[in-house]
Amino acid sequence: MSDAAAPAPASRPADPRVRLVMAVMLAFSMASVGNVVMVPLLGAVALAVLACSRADAVQVRSRLRGAGVVALALVLVLPFVAGDRVLWQAGALRWHADGLATALVMGARLLAIVTVTLALLVPVAPFRLVAGARALGVPALMADLAFLTLRYLDELRAELARALLARRLRGGKGGWRGLPEYGVLLASALIRGQRRAERVWAAMRLRGYGTAAAMPGLPPLAGRDIWAMVWVACGSVGLVMLDRAISTGAL
Amino acid sequence: MHLPDGIVPVELALAGYVASGALTAFALARVNRLPDPRAGIPRAAMLTTVFFAASLVAIPVPPMSVHLVLSGLMGVMLGWFAMPAIVVGLFLQAVLFGHGGVTTLGLNGLILGLPALLAFGVWRGAGRRWPDVAALAAGGGAVVLALAIFAAIVLAGLPVALDAGAETLAIKALLLAHLPLVLAEGGVVLVLLRVLRRVEPALVPHV
Repeated sequence: MSDAAAPAPASRPADPRVRLVMAVMLAFSMASVGNVVMVPLLGAVALAVLACSRADAVQVRSRLRGAGVVALALVLVLPFVAGDRVLWQAGALRWHADGLATALVMGARLLAIVTVTLALLVPVAPFRLVAGARALGVPALMADLAFLTLRYLDELRAELARALLARRLRGGKGGWRGLPEYGVLLASALIRGQRRAERVWAAMRLRGYGTAAAMPGLPPLAGRDIWAMVWVACGSVGLVMLDRAISTGAL
Repeated sequence: MHLPDGIVPVELALAGYVASGALTAFALARVNRLPDPRAGIPRAAMLTTVFFAASLVAIPVPPMSVHLVLSGLMGVMLGWFAMPAIVVGLFLQAVLFGHGGVTTLGLNGLILGLPALLAFGVWRGAGRRWPDVAALAAGGGAVVLALAIFAAIVLAGLPVALDAGAETLAIKALLLAHLPLVLAEGGVVLVLLRVLRRVEPALVPHV
């Protein structure tokens, strides 16, 4: 996993703690939205965050593919199976207005949350993200675990991908018939990886490495970062209150 | 078998965080009772990377395909360490790749963590005497429990207006599509543990 994140421009908060807190606040406020009239606002907030974060839009879009498929499936299926008010009917098939509204809200929430999460967190180097999570109170054992996982993630994935390709080129069985062989591949990757990881971890501990030393140090939060969090907190609360006001008919 | 963001009500997502947090704290307390709790970190990290890499293998279930989950394997090999390892894996998947979700991290932790702990219990109870049966039961049983928790959460979170017949049909389709995964996971865990028991028995606890 590459640790080389581009240096952050001065106009955006780069501290991983700030980005994590902002991502969680925005994600939960978006998850609480329940009115279909809020869908355009969800989209606007997600796009604004994407623009402000200056994350690589192509990278974010490619990682949004899975969420896009789920959102599309919701919009295609839910209107046919949920709701009472029929919008359109063809034989036994009924397209319900309330089912469509529910599907749009769910799909919009999903896409907005994933966009915001990726926009805020993808530009931060993964090791700094783990350091940020540790600074926010994640137990040291879990932070060390995440740190070592990131250390070996690319290596093991590449090793397994190579082994699978080699097996295919040798005419190995695919699909169901290849599963026992896949079990053997996984076992050998685990044995090799485990030995390497034990050696590296022992050496790191002998040199005095632990969570504090192995991870990049984080400076105290700047005033700009604190203000960014306050703005996002106000925006998140505003989003929830606006949705509640629409639900109760106050607006 | 990840629950994405935005599907379940926010109250359910928050309850998932509380339950998953409590379970992880309990698991960490058990790990911290070990003479050297940090000694298990390299193994847990390797298994967490395997948890990621499992998505490389697609099992064809026409007209779609499903991916290995391997939470049973994590339970067998990591014991109590499996719960924090799964939470870490899910967190990294959500923030780096957009798989799963940030708001559903707690619920996904329960969907995959509880089955891992069940597999740990199965292996600890029967792994020494009947290793092959225990491996099959741990691998396949973990998927069955994960499916059951997933279905229960989705049912609890779906809109009340959903047609009851369609709901039953959707759950049946989900279970049917994942039935092959139960067999595949059981088989992969069986082969993997057999190889490890012969080549590197130190890696397999309780045998």
